Amino acid sequence: MEPIRKDEFDSQACGSLTPKTKPCPRPKPGEAAGGCSFDGAQITLLPIMDAAHLVHGPIACAGNSWESRGTLTSGPSLSQYGFATDLNNTDIIFGGEKKLKESIDYIAGRFAPPAIFVYATCVTALIGEDMDAVCKEASGRLGLPVIPVNAPGFVGSKNLGNRLAGDALLQYVIGTGEPEKEVPLGVNLIGEYNIAGEMWDIEKLMNSAGITLMSRITGDARYKEITWAHRAKVNMVVCSRALLGLAKEMEKRYHIPFFEGSFYGAKETTYSLRQMAFLMNDREMERRVDRLTEREEARLIQDLRPYRKLLKGKKAVLYTGGVKSWSIISALKELGVQVVGVGTNKSTDDDVRRIADRVGDDTEYIPEGGASRIIKTVRDRKADIMIAGGRNMYVAMKEQIPFIDINQERHKAYAGYEGLLRLAKELTYSLTNPIWRLASSPAPWDKEEPPYDR
Amino acid sequence: MKDHLNIPDHNKLFQTEPYVKQREGKKAFEAPCSEQETAEALAYSKTSEYKDKNFARKSLVVNPHKACQPLGALMASLGFEKTLPFIHGSQGCTAYFRSHLSRHFKEPAPAVSSSMTEDGAVFGGMSNLIDGLENSVALYKPEMVAVSTTCMAEVIGDDLQAFISNARQKGAITEELPVPYANTPSFAGSHITGYDSMLKSIISTLYKRSGIEATPGSGEGTGEKLNVILGFEPYTGNFAEMRKILAAFDTKYTFLGDHSGNFDSPATGEYSYYYGGTKLEDVPKAANALGTLSLQKYSVKKTLEYIEGTWKQQTVSMSAPIGITATDRLVDAISELTGLPIPAELIDERGRVVDALTDSHPYLHGKRTALVGDPDLLIGLIQFCLETGMEPVHIVCSNGDNGFKGEAEALLAASPYGAEATVHIGNDLWHMRSLLIDNPVDLSFGSSHLKYAAKDAGVPLIRVGFPVFDRHHLHRYPVIGYQGTLNLLTTVVNTILQNLDDDSSGFNHDLVR
Repeated sequence: MEPIRKDEFDSQACGSLTPKTKPCPRPKPGEAAGGCSFDGAQITLLPIMDAAHLVHGPIACAGNSWESRGTLTSGPSLSQYGFATDLNNTDIIFGGEKKLKESIDYIAGRFAPPAIFVYATCVTALIGEDMDAVCKEASGRLGLPVIPVNAPGFVGSKNLGNRLAGDALLQYVIGTGEPEKEVPLGVNLIGEYNIAGEMWDIEKLMNSAGITLMSRITGDARYKEITWAHRAKVNMVVCSRALLGLAKEMEKRYHIPFFEGSFYGAKETTYSLRQMAFLMNDREMERRVDRLTEREEARLIQDLRPYRKLLKGKKAVLYTGGVKSWSIISALKELGVQVVGVGTNKSTDDDVRRIADRVGDDTEYIPEGGASRIIKTVRDRKADIMIAGGRNMYVAMKEQIPFIDINQERHKAYAGYEGLLRLAKELTYSLTNPIWRLASSPAPWDKEEPPYDR
Repeated sequence: MKDHLNIPDHNKLFQTEPYVKQREGKKAFEAPCSEQETAEALAYSKTSEYKDKNFARKSLVVNPHKACQPLGALMASLGFEKTLPFIHGSQGCTAYFRSHLSRHFKEPAPAVSSSMTEDGAVFGGMSNLIDGLENSVALYKPEMVAVSTTCMAEVIGDDLQAFISNARQKGAITEELPVPYANTPSFAGSHITGYDSMLKSIISTLYKRSGIEATPGSGEGTGEKLNVILGFEPYTGNFAEMRKILAAFDTKYTFLGDHSGNFDSPATGEYSYYYGGTKLEDVPKAANALGTLSLQKYSVKKTLEYIEGTWKQQTVSMSAPIGITATDRLVDAISELTGLPIPAELIDERGRVVDALTDSHPYLHGKRTALVGDPDLLIGLIQFCLETGMEPVHIVCSNGDNGFKGEAEALLAASPYGAEATVHIGNDLWHMRSLLIDNPVDLSFGSSHLKYAAKDAGVPLIRVGFPVFDRHHLHRYPVIGYQGTLNLLTTVVNTILQNLDDDSSGFNHDLVR
């Protein structure tokens, strides 16, 4: 993999507009921070379920991260194994390349994966391990793709890691295989990680409309299907911040048109399906999509009725990373929930523009992380519910704020029409659980009023 | 609002026909292995030939069972009042630690990072550390900042002492703010070594700054009698249990490191960054205590050396007091260190737990067990097994040293129930999988991470130790002391009984056991 050049990344925009500030801004020292580039790269590639993922570095980078994301598999589970070279003091001094080579050989011999991804870590990058050479040598000798992923933690944010992983796919995977005859050409999903099985819901919808899902990049993916991603007719970028660059490069190299879309909310889902059919340039398919989306939307309106009654007018603060804020806002709007505060520290300028299109003028933007900042917005805006990720969940519980988890550890799939119904249900459950009344009422011997009325 | 719609969860949903079909269709993309080959490979991975190959593996770790030093350092920092854990290095590490601890305790875990990037890699992390200290003090208003390092800062050789004193000179932090620090690279040791380094650093830093001269047993200005260390303790319930035992003795004491407040705070409707913890002013006063009692040995080695050497205090250390014998030793030690008689209520409690053990022993006797965990926990679990007639067979300790191995083997050798046991240090959970399959057992004890190997081998798993991600509230219940022994016994015996019920074919579905 090409060496990382800082200026190059700084000059690349995260979104399509020229950003006012630096893209992928560096975190400020001394704040409670999010994940690193290594984490980001793993997140992008781990959903390739039949590949082996080997962490070259000290034990913790693997020890702290294996099996901690809810990206589901429909078959192979090799991706769920925590492989690590576990470098120790001696390796740091004398180099860990021999250990890496032996580890690769062991995995190839024992697990016979279709490919091995090897991740650099802070340590191996700093001591100057020539991972590319080791991977190249092993690859030739074993007749197996061994792919170096050079995204050590210190190069920057999680998001930069997503992009570096995308670069590894472009450089080593995409274009190295050809689809088998029986695989019809279709759409690639880029930046969809099958959290809680969302990809399966999406695939079911696409299939109902007669659209073939060709390569999953990378939710519940198989290595082989990514090798022929360059033969797709359309790319859909689901999580734009992460892998937009990949789609752009594929457009340049392979002339595959792409669009950014989302499956959160009925409107966005309908738009995405229509866009697919439109870019496939297939009239019959467009008609099928129209019939499907009309039917699904009509049914959804019926199904949502009892939930909408309760959700209408409720206020939410949304603080999310990977799942795009703007598309969740659309979903919430359809349920009648008003977003009064929204996190933007992981959004591109494009994302912020889309957020602005979807929320009212008085919605507060939360540009930085940290529990207290988010809590303050919930308090100030008298929000009814907080929608965020795992690290903020327990803070919300402490503050007795109804909460739903929207990030990678969630157990509920919110994509598509059925997903919106699930979201409505979860919101309703969270808001109406009797525990909130109990938690926010004073004890009988304590006459003080609760902080404010929910 | 009650539900009107039946929406299955993903496990059920994805077993329905369209999804099953989808899955079948996808096999075209999978690695070119036939089902038969896969089945053969799986069968091979369950042979003893493969077990030997697995144990010959040296370079690769598969399914690790240890966390790294700064995670332990973070936990040690949160044992002290208004202390902000500050991790010097690239930022992802901090996010991992916070998630890890949050997932185990189901509580927020405050910590900040100096967020080093490649500039730091080239020019050193001084400006990140100084800026970070300034920002974090302004944002989170701590009374102490505990700095630990990550691999990155260690590899480039950042000099924390110099950086922190530069930060003071530049006015980024005040002279008054204590900033203990520990070097905690992940490529050496594990979470328990990191815990030890940070605990020692906090204690020695606060002691040095206070100007107090240690006079063991003087009680001067403190009235304290006993210092108690729980170490890298994944159970907030164990702190409560120790408090209860010490209260029964009516002795005064200081916990050196008490993170139970931070990981078990009440829902008051308002989140604070800091809950509880050992008072900073109590730390130097602890130098005058009668002695120090530690409930872990392997995870507080350096700290105990410091207390013996610098405070010239008597120290008594033991591994997790699980079971009657080990708890007796704990109670004896408190009595000896303080000169106080053993309280009647503990004697009563002991009797009740012994009674419970006798009630359940028929179901425990001869049960073969496999154990995974940190060294001190394992010593406790081995004792508990041997005491109840269970037979430990496989013991895997990723972060155990030879001292631990020797102690564990001696313990096992002293009991006929330990005759079959082997102790493996430095091994991982993929080794444990081979052991479980090659030489089956009835029960396994370990963290959530063991669930994969346990499922492969078809062995029930008793979740104990760190981390437990997939069960709620276990950390709130003690596993040490008489009460903890009763809790553990209850879990074990009822797991066995549940399995008997699950396996019964109907005509022997016993009502009374």
